[in-house]
Amino acid sequence: MYYICCMNNEFVQNWFSQVKKGTLSYIILIILDEKEYYGYELVQEIKIHTTLEVAEGTLYPLLNRLKTEGIVDSKWIEQESGIPRKYYTLSKEGRETLTEMKKIWSALGTAIQKIQK
Amino acid sequence: MKRIIFNNPTAQRIYDDYISRVNRCVSILSADDQRELLMEFNSHIYEATHNAAPENEVDILMDTLDKLGAPEIVLQPTVAHKKVQQAVRSFNPKHVVEAIYLNIFNGVGYFIWGLIYLLVLAFGSLAIIKLIAPEHTGFFLKDGHYFVFGYTSDLPSGATEVLGNWFIITVIALMSIFYFLNTLLFRLLKGK
Repeated sequence: MYYICCMNNEFVQNWFSQVKKGTLSYIILIILDEKEYYGYELVQEIKIHTTLEVAEGTLYPLLNRLKTEGIVDSKWIEQESGIPRKYYTLSKEGRETLTEMKKIWSALGTAIQKIQK
Repeated sequence: MKRIIFNNPTAQRIYDDYISRVNRCVSILSADDQRELLMEFNSHIYEATHNAAPENEVDILMDTLDKLGAPEIVLQPTVAHKKVQQAVRSFNPKHVVEAIYLNIFNGVGYFIWGLIYLLVLAFGSLAIIKLIAPEHTGFFLKDGHYFVFGYTSDLPSGATEVLGNWFIITVIALMSIFYFLNTLLFRLLKGK
């Protein structure tokens, strides 16, 4: 009880916001590793698999950046509605990047587990 | 880009207003980049709202736009980044000035990039001015001391120009060096 009333909520929120920001690209790459997704579908997938409240508008700048970096590829696919969907896939470089990120994430997780004991 | 049609007129007005705001935010970019960003937002709005019943259209649309965020804020980093790419590709002064303006808050890096770009333009101009006004342009020394490097309309007596036509080669070389430095700096900024 003492812990809750004295917890620095603002600090925790800021820290969580930074963690979210830092892990969002990793989460996107993991999801895109399964199959291609279009933007809106990708947002839903993130919501299903994580408890993260993603600011949807920030997803597109991030996807644009990942594309500029050569990590994801994208293509417009026409739909019957006349409003096309933009599908994103992992590029070859993206798959290699993800493999490296997984190693780093795993090492970080192990290190934190050790410290927490 | 195909406009989404809503059954509810209020929803239609809200959608049209939002798309106009997106349009205004991206109007500074190339036609391709404008179309790409507009289509991306339009597609997201359509996917989120197209199954909504007419009586729920306004609520669902408002919720979707709220989650997407204000275009002026959400699109700012992307527009700024794409503008820099366009400026570097074209080296058009108009795009460069716009890119500097949009990225002024990204730190002093882009400010330095802008200054170096001005130096590149200045050295390029000096090469042309040397051909037009050779007597007033060059590397001038007076009494063995540096006096001026560039153009001067007011030459004091005793000042001598030491480089001659080598001045043109010198400014072109300086222009190339600063252009190279700017390319390196841009890559560094891009990788931030």
